[in-house]
Amino acid sequence: MGRMTFVFQRLLLLIPVAIGVTIIVFFMIHLIPGDPARTILGIHATPRAVAILHRQWGLDRPLISQYWLFMDRLVHGNLGQSLYYGVPAGPLIWSRLPATLWLVVYAAVLAVVISVPLAMIAASRKDGIRDHIVRAVPLVGLGMPPFWLGILLIYALAINVRWFPVSGYGTGFTGHLHSMFLPALVVAIALAPVVIRSLRASMLNVLGAEYITTAKSKGVSGHRLFLRHVLRNAVIPAVTVLGINIGFLVGGTVVIENVFAIPGIGQLMINSIFERDFPVVQGVTLAFGVLVVLVNLLADLSYAALDPRVRFDR
Amino acid sequence: MKVRLTAAKVAIAASAVVVLAACGSGGSSSAGGSSGGSAGGPVHGGNLIFDAVQDAQSMNNTTVFDNNSIWIFEQIFQPLYTVTNSGKGVMPWLATSYTVSPDKKTYTFTLRKGVKFSNGKPMTSADVKFSIDQNRKATQGWAYLDTAISSVGDPSPDTVVIHLKYPWAPLLADLSIFANGIIPNNYGGQTEAQFYTHPVGTGPFMWDYWHKGQALKLVRNPYYWQKGKPYLNSITWEDVPSDNTRELNLKGGQAQIDQTPAWATVASLKTTPGVDMYLFPSTQTNYLAFNELRKPFQDVHVRRAISYAINRAALVKAVLFGNGKPANSLFPPQVPYYQANTPGLQYNLAAAKAEMAKSSVPHGFTTTILVPAGNSDYVTIATILQAELKPLNIKLNITQLDPNTVNNDEQTLKYDMVLTLWTMDIPDPDELATFAVDPKSGARSFFTAYDNPTVVKDTHAAEVTSNPTQRQNLYNIIQAASAQDAFMAFLYYSPYPYATTSNVHGFFVTPLGNMHMENVWLSK
Repeated sequence: MGRMTFVFQRLLLLIPVAIGVTIIVFFMIHLIPGDPARTILGIHATPRAVAILHRQWGLDRPLISQYWLFMDRLVHGNLGQSLYYGVPAGPLIWSRLPATLWLVVYAAVLAVVISVPLAMIAASRKDGIRDHIVRAVPLVGLGMPPFWLGILLIYALAINVRWFPVSGYGTGFTGHLHSMFLPALVVAIALAPVVIRSLRASMLNVLGAEYITTAKSKGVSGHRLFLRHVLRNAVIPAVTVLGINIGFLVGGTVVIENVFAIPGIGQLMINSIFERDFPVVQGVTLAFGVLVVLVNLLADLSYAALDPRVRFDR
Repeated sequence: MKVRLTAAKVAIAASAVVVLAACGSGGSSSAGGSSGGSAGGPVHGGNLIFDAVQDAQSMNNTTVFDNNSIWIFEQIFQPLYTVTNSGKGVMPWLATSYTVSPDKKTYTFTLRKGVKFSNGKPMTSADVKFSIDQNRKATQGWAYLDTAISSVGDPSPDTVVIHLKYPWAPLLADLSIFANGIIPNNYGGQTEAQFYTHPVGTGPFMWDYWHKGQALKLVRNPYYWQKGKPYLNSITWEDVPSDNTRELNLKGGQAQIDQTPAWATVASLKTTPGVDMYLFPSTQTNYLAFNELRKPFQDVHVRRAISYAINRAALVKAVLFGNGKPANSLFPPQVPYYQANTPGLQYNLAAAKAEMAKSSVPHGFTTTILVPAGNSDYVTIATILQAELKPLNIKLNITQLDPNTVNNDEQTLKYDMVLTLWTMDIPDPDELATFAVDPKSGARSFFTAYDNPTVVKDTHAAEVTSNPTQRQNLYNIIQAASAQDAFMAFLYYSPYPYATTSNVHGFFVTPLGNMHMENVWLSK
């Protein structure tokens, strides 16, 4: 199977995933108690006012009919109107997506930057003091609640020395790079221990392989041996771990978005659930589903890039 | 096998972070006057960053009930009369004066000369007529405040005549609401939806942009009618839901105003260098509501017993960290006709036990209080209530649900007890009294189903009585009767907490929450 066929097949998988996500989310969000009309009207929620809003939004129709309408709009690229803002849900979600993607990608890059050298240091001296330190210290990062770590970093690097802004997304590429460093670092610190452990274990396996002995006997050593022979062969399991964790991250950035006031999709999701803004909740969940599938597809594709022996058979 | 990490490599990594820190240094927001000095009178210039708890919802002033939207579009739309700083009256704003006919059914307003919209076009009576008529049509919004109006006339460009169906004492207060703010006639030739995406008004600031969920920016209106104002070049409301982050933004110089700092931080903010902590008197009143459709809350003795059992001073100390006052009346002190001597039921355990003994459940009962999950203030109140009701043999279960569900259950009267609050929209008690005590109002007596026909009658009598003494007498009766009926336990009055950086001057919030941002300036 060629790479393009593989990609096409995986992209086709998006259709059942998307349909499954829409069914589960649509019926779950409509089954839980709460009413967007009453939220918006507050103390002014007379039965008449509530009924008018329900009719205006189509919430007076049978649930199955509402779902059909949602799917009909979806295939035409329309996610409906946000009940809270009264604007199209699609552009609203689209405008919030870049901040979350920035956070996730930036965090993944930082996690790799942190993990690779530390895993190499740990694997280079198995059971040595450096190995123990590398295995133990990053676990502290994993154990610290992200919001707390975020506040500590803000105090240290944004208030005391003012190297970074306290919050926000910034403007332009360098603005984003600058503003998103602390939130991405918080996520990366939580992500790195898992990647380090996976990478270290793989490296130790590879170090015992015959081709490493052969390389050593040919005089290859030090950085060259690690970077060309060990890392490249050991990285695939770590990519899998990273891919799965990024998948979780896509849906789990809301705490970081809250602490750093990042106008991302996670914050939009939480607010929309509280406001029972059904079209936005459905749209955001769909976007999460698609992103998770795409991240895993990218992880799979990266196997072949990292190891030419990998074939897209199944 | 060894991999050596040299000092040089560590230095390279560290310098990468420093470079990264430096690369965005131009991107962070800054504030400060562009002219003038740090002392003396106001200076012009600067962009003020206002950290808001929540994003706005819409700029449609006739249909939106959300405070975060209201406080922003009040900088764009202005009414004929506005609320005074005491919150107890009105003062001329886009109108300069009025006369009233002997039958109190016709008001003639003279409009202020020289007022222009932010698009440079002069404001005329046609704009005023259109604006008030639009609000009267907003049946899904604030139209109920204009129900006494039968028609609006514009006999000359600077004269507006409002005809009433019947004499209506709160008319000026009703006209001072943002929903009666003046917009261009016929939306300036646009549709309603188009207009409110970039609204135009006579206020000190005009529209720039709104990135939903991120920031909304208004810039100086060059045609503003108050000479020399506003002082600021622009205001940006940023959506920062986390209390911690708003505070850190203030301390880090990234924002100049923090809306609603957490009560727990008020004391420390008062002593933080470079920060000014304000507690503006407000009309916010917190209540404990009883659902009279459920047993045993139809029994006035049960309601009184609970009301007597609540140590309000303890609540103020625990929840507001001492920054409030126990409530004695349905009305807060900043509302006209508030009666300080209202015999509200205050903490008295002996009286509580006596009321329980007279009730239908003298040996106690089990009940539930609904609390929005994540609202730590309300959880604290509920926990204190749980302990305070024990001596009455009332077992109080606390049910935490998501805020939307609590709101829904409250409005559909699917609760035993719930915590609720109110802030005034107009400087007259009529709106509050009607919502609170009239079961036929939209709010069904604050969703308690309370019904005392005498109180309802007096509430409506006060609407059509223009004599202040007579109104005071009626509102005294309403406050006393509603306290004795204990349809809600009046808990406490709390101020509006705001923190600003010390270079913010002229910032003031009225008891109704209005802000005159045209008076605000930034020193260097």
